[in-house]
Amino acid sequence: MLITGLGVISAAGNNLSETLDSFASGQRNCGPLTLFPSQLPYPVFEVKNLPDNYYLEGRRTLSLAMIAVDQALADARLSDIPKYRIGVCLGTTVASQLNDLQFYMTYREKNSAPMTAADRFLKGNLAEYVSRRIGARGPQLTVVNACSSGTDAIGVALSWLKSDLCDIVIAGGADELNHIPYCGFSSLGIVNPGLCAPFDRDRKGLNLGEGAGIMIIEKQSVAKIRGVTSDLFLAGFGASGDAYHLTAPSPEGIGLKASLRSALAEAGIQPGEIAFINAHGTGTLDNDLVEGNVLADIFGQAVKMLSTKGYTGHTLGAAGGIEAAFTAAGLRYGWIPASAGFENRDEAIPLSPVGEKTSVSGQYAISTSLAFGGNNAAVLLGLENIK
Amino acid sequence: MNILGTGIIFSRGLGVAALENALRAGWQPPDEIDLPRSAGLKRLVYQVNLDAVPDKTLLKKNRRSDKLSKMAVLAAADALADSGIAQTADKRIGIILSTAFGAHVTTFDFLDGILDYGEANVSPTTFSNSVHNAAAAYISSSLNIKGPTLSITQFRFSFQSALQLASAWLQQGRCDYVLAGAVDQYGAVLGYVADQKLCSAPDGKIKPFTFSPTCHVPGEGAAFFLLGKAGPENMYCSVTAIHTGAEPDNPNPPDIDIIDADGMLPDESAYIAALRHGIPATSYSPVFGSMMITSAFNIAAGALMLRNQSCYAAPVLDNPHNIRLLSESGKRAMKQIRCTGYNCYGDKSVIYLGRD
Repeated sequence: MLITGLGVISAAGNNLSETLDSFASGQRNCGPLTLFPSQLPYPVFEVKNLPDNYYLEGRRTLSLAMIAVDQALADARLSDIPKYRIGVCLGTTVASQLNDLQFYMTYREKNSAPMTAADRFLKGNLAEYVSRRIGARGPQLTVVNACSSGTDAIGVALSWLKSDLCDIVIAGGADELNHIPYCGFSSLGIVNPGLCAPFDRDRKGLNLGEGAGIMIIEKQSVAKIRGVTSDLFLAGFGASGDAYHLTAPSPEGIGLKASLRSALAEAGIQPGEIAFINAHGTGTLDNDLVEGNVLADIFGQAVKMLSTKGYTGHTLGAAGGIEAAFTAAGLRYGWIPASAGFENRDEAIPLSPVGEKTSVSGQYAISTSLAFGGNNAAVLLGLENIK
Repeated sequence: MNILGTGIIFSRGLGVAALENALRAGWQPPDEIDLPRSAGLKRLVYQVNLDAVPDKTLLKKNRRSDKLSKMAVLAAADALADSGIAQTADKRIGIILSTAFGAHVTTFDFLDGILDYGEANVSPTTFSNSVHNAAAAYISSSLNIKGPTLSITQFRFSFQSALQLASAWLQQGRCDYVLAGAVDQYGAVLGYVADQKLCSAPDGKIKPFTFSPTCHVPGEGAAFFLLGKAGPENMYCSVTAIHTGAEPDNPNPPDIDIIDADGMLPDESAYIAALRHGIPATSYSPVFGSMMITSAFNIAAGALMLRNQSCYAAPVLDNPHNIRLLSESGKRAMKQIRCTGYNCYGDKSVIYLGRD
């Protein structure tokens, strides 16, 4: 399945080109929260300068999604939407909840409230909204698998295409910064009061972020009919549950190992063929410890690995989409950025992320996601013409 | 793809026996519950009573979970047990949980925490339970299922999307079996929203064949299915087709038409054109209550009818449009049942169940 279009927006940049500039210069756009009032002190990775023509009041996730979708459609030169069976599969967390604090405060106080927030919610199912907005006529699905939602959405896209449910899929994830996860992650004690430092010995937790990452994935036969081609392809996907704990990964990384092995098996390749891994790498003690050990176990200690969350923060349901797009860019352009925030090796983790902008060569790369509830997912991307 | 096991929890109990009894008994009045902060005001709701679940093992195991997760776990475990498949430990089982509103009740509880105690003093347990995929995670950990675990939401067609994906997973060998289902919980806030947008049935009776004007009675519950490629003798039926959007012509007419009409749309007249002339029609929403995921419950009823080769009369027979209704229960030879749903945009979904 070819990846013919990429779209991405995050604090690292409002498109892929800006993002690569941030990556190259090591710029980290983290700062104080400005999107909603809060007494909590944690810095965040906010998207700045959202284009006016994408503004949707009270539906920032949809705005972010549409920006990335339009970028990806343009990149894929896909404009004749009704002509093809186009599915839309997107991951999110925030857009799936009626979580408007003002609405709820009013309801609590007065036993009634204006329906504006409820209407936005009821007309704001992410995949449904995007599908209607662009006029797609294939299947639509919003994945709400917490932090692995975006990666899982890409996996669903692969399944849809393999089962001929559609010809092309718009897949990925989108999420806005929101009060509930901001307070919720704080309550779990895993938010860093400073800048996150994935895989670092002294890591103190994650920073929250927002954004959207979209891929246009299509059958090779359809791309040929459309007169487009691409050097990138989606080679495999794997997902597994830990069946262990709601908020902690299995210490042995059972589910992550199974996900990676499934993705490798579907792609029909060996671990040694992986050029680099874009890890989930949140900067929390548990995630990085488990993930680092699993990656070393399967791919060896010398594998090139990074976390891009040092540039974007943890964008929750968007993370898988954003990081898959970054992984695709890394393969295509032959380099990955320094894993921002990493300084000191953790002796409990047998491999370290790259500490500087690093050349990569090879045909395959992996992006991983570990989520609440013990969900693990991995997408395996390929490059047709190795540089 | 075959339905090998069914698990259900709804206002009339847990399990296929409760489903069978409810379908046989027909319509029963809903519960009358007090509205919060509204002295004397009541709302009619088909509520699940977890205290009535006889075996408390899973409830104890999941004591820190919310009601949504508990209902999901009970129905999923019930479906697995109902399939009779032993030794599931070595099988690759996937989970697809569909929901319209997810853990919205717990989300509002979390907002209560912010408003009452401040941002720095909210409950981490409430936050964890408010995450959309918590229910699927509890299923995974309770039943020790380590396959792909996915939570999805698509308002009206969530369950149809789950079935479609389950079929793809089985076809592609990603799993040996898939536990696919739907769950939604009644809550006062969304009850209030529904009251603003829809007509509530004053007598507690959903009338699926009135079409316009419609009336609803909120329901809650979970329905899960163990799905597999191969089917043993005692399986329920096959899911022979799932369409969302246009429905291709099917030369073989169904034996029974089930519609998802339940008053969740202000006008449900589209169903009139969808019904095939002369085919007996029914809808079991008056038994379960109005839910965006009502199709999962109608599919449970359809699967049961095909397995037992017995049909159950439409529970409410108000019929101003003179539709040919399934008006009597009893033994009936059936090969195919069609379940039709519509969403608020007028899109149609169709699921065909078949048994040779």
